[in-house]
Amino acid sequence: MSAEISLTIVDRFRALRETRFGSFVPVLLALIAIWAYFGITEPVFLSPRNFYNLFMQSAVVGTLAVGITMVLLLGDIDLSAAANSGVCAAIVAVLIANFGFSGPVACLVAILAGIVLSAGQGALVAYVGIPSFVVTLAGLLGFQGLMLKVLGQHGAINVSDEFVRGLTKITFSPELGWAIAVAAIAAFTFFTLRRQSRRRSASLELESPGALYGQIVFFSALLVGAVATLNAYRGVPLLVVLLVALTGLLGWVTTSTPFGRSIFAVGGNQESARRVGMNVKRIRVAAFGIVGMMAAVGGIVGASRYASVSFNAFAGGPLLLEAIGAAVIGGTSLFGGRGSVWNAILGALVIGSLGNGLDLSGASAADKLMFSGAILLLAVAIDAISRSGSGQSR
Amino acid sequence: MTSAVTNTVGPGAPSPSAHLTASGIKKRFGGVEALRGVDFDVRRGEVMALVGDNGAGKSTLMKALAGAHTTDGGTFHLDGREVILNTPHDAAEQGIQIVYQDLALCENLDVSANLSLGDEPTKSGWWFLPHQLRPIDDLEMERKARAAIDKLQVRTLQSVRAKVGGLSGGQRQAIAIARAVGADSTVVLLDEPTAALGVAQTRQVLDAVIRLRDTNHAVVYISHNMRDIFEVSDRITVLRHGSNVAVYETSQTTPDEIVVAMTRGLDTEAT
Ligand SMILES: Nc1ncnc2c1ncn2[C@@H]1O[C@H](COP(=O)(O)OP(=O)(O)O)[C@@H](O)[C@H]1O
Ligand SMILES: [Mg+2]
Repeated sequence: MSAEISLTIVDRFRALRETRFGSFVPVLLALIAIWAYFGITEPVFLSPRNFYNLFMQSAVVGTLAVGITMVLLLGDIDLSAAANSGVCAAIVAVLIANFGFSGPVACLVAILAGIVLSAGQGALVAYVGIPSFVVTLAGLLGFQGLMLKVLGQHGAINVSDEFVRGLTKITFSPELGWAIAVAAIAAFTFFTLRRQSRRRSASLELESPGALYGQIVFFSALLVGAVATLNAYRGVPLLVVLLVALTGLLGWVTTSTPFGRSIFAVGGNQESARRVGMNVKRIRVAAFGIVGMMAAVGGIVGASRYASVSFNAFAGGPLLLEAIGAAVIGGTSLFGGRGSVWNAILGALVIGSLGNGLDLSGASAADKLMFSGAILLLAVAIDAISRSGSGQSR
Repeated sequence: MTSAVTNTVGPGAPSPSAHLTASGIKKRFGGVEALRGVDFDVRRGEVMALVGDNGAGKSTLMKALAGAHTTDGGTFHLDGREVILNTPHDAAEQGIQIVYQDLALCENLDVSANLSLGDEPTKSGWWFLPHQLRPIDDLEMERKARAAIDKLQVRTLQSVRAKVGGLSGGQRQAIAIARAVGADSTVVLLDEPTAALGVAQTRQVLDAVIRLRDTNHAVVYISHNMRDIFEVSDRITVLRHGSNVAVYETSQTTPDEIVVAMTRGLDTEAT
């Protein structure tokens, strides 16, 4: 009896994850649970100031996690992303401090470098056939060395460039914050309703009214809540808007273009992707290139936030594992073919909230590590359960 | 039984009415010679059964016709005109579609995405973007999927937005067939489409095969089930160890004769 019941719960859970917004539910529940817990034990946790810090602290991990999601969808992994970030941050710092480049140009060069470094690894995986785990493990070591080389003898370089610093210092006025939120809600509502009316006129299956308006209400509530909270402290940070826009762009590419579809196809069944004529090798190189781009953006954001670039902030620290953890906790499968970049953002918030909350409650570094490990294990277990389920139904 | 050879069309002499003809196809995988110069042809409005023991080279021949394998020798003709079938894209452009033995579906994608895989319709007005980055016209994609599914009359399938991973074996088979039929195809290759199916589902596939013939497709049907073969096929090509044995008119042969040709070839049978 009990086996039967637990089976139906797992089945329902699985069915839920298959729906359009359903894959957000587990990670959202985790986030709410964490916030509720720390909200009770550490009332400061729920203050606007702390939320502002939480968003800013999670930015680098989130950026990297969004990038890593691209290769996880293929069934690959990138262990070198954080080290690549470090190289790019070092490039920005050195170009500005030692070579007098302007901020935007330095950032552009760093982004190009990030893309080349990652796409090169992608080419080794795709054309030479070395497993991505091995290639990027070598990349991890090599890029750490490269970062030290670029930084030179100083070990750390300060970044005071206005442009780079502005990325994380600028916040919007409350009015502008609200204007952005209203515009986004209007656009979301318009496209959701237009989609429904087009489906109706093409006499295709319709979204149920509950799901339709639920989406709009949910999206609006999320946005209004976020803007209200951030406005209560300093206002909506430019960084948050930039990262959400970048994630939105990648989300759109992965779910709504032939390129994105081919990423999911390769992750789901590489042989079938090949047989319908997809260029699996090129797709793989492109996906790795996107990781490189996001790694570089993460590096720039890090350089901006800390106002300096040092080895430990990127390559030496827990950044890589937190980023991969964020993607997986968000619900992106390590086995490929399942996940989304938005989930990576939510996963980054989970990791960020845990760290932030444990810091507030004065937990030791040991407690933090063990907590993060447990959460990651839980996420991977959920991933494995949903996967074995879809395999059984054959 | 002595009628076997007189009922065959000799290798290398494809009938003039053939739609798709393969001549002298060779394919080797390292040391394995999977095809040793095979001749094959199929007409429109006919079901050609392709039989042979496991490892005879049936799947390899189908993949060569579908452009999924490049060949090491031989030519392909479509209505008498030589065609190059080096990639799946080449074959699709010539109207050749295949249903693979392993189906080759992406379980993580929904039915409509699988049906358009590799050939997603994109919205107009985005010419400034490379094709790979234009928005997919998912309404058109679903409409096409609906049409293909309806054409096959798969009544059990509720939604074209269901993930393939959650479907039954028969439904998956139907989707793989719908993918081949949905495209503007004239040749449909089916590699053991009923191997994993129950009785009712096999019935559905056989009906689909007959419907394809009635809509003037050239159908190639691989199966180990003699009952099914004798029910749906018009002619039977027998392969053995990567070579032709013979081609039979289904109406003028028997299951026993085919099984003997499959397992022993003609020479041993004649002695
Ligand atoms: N991709 C491949 N690599 C190596 N050998 C293969 C491959 N595909 C088929 N073969 C070999 O070619 C021969 C014919 O296989 P196949 O066409 O699958 O036979 P059938 O479909 O008639 O059972 C077999 O000996 C098989 O082992
Ligand atoms: Mg076979």
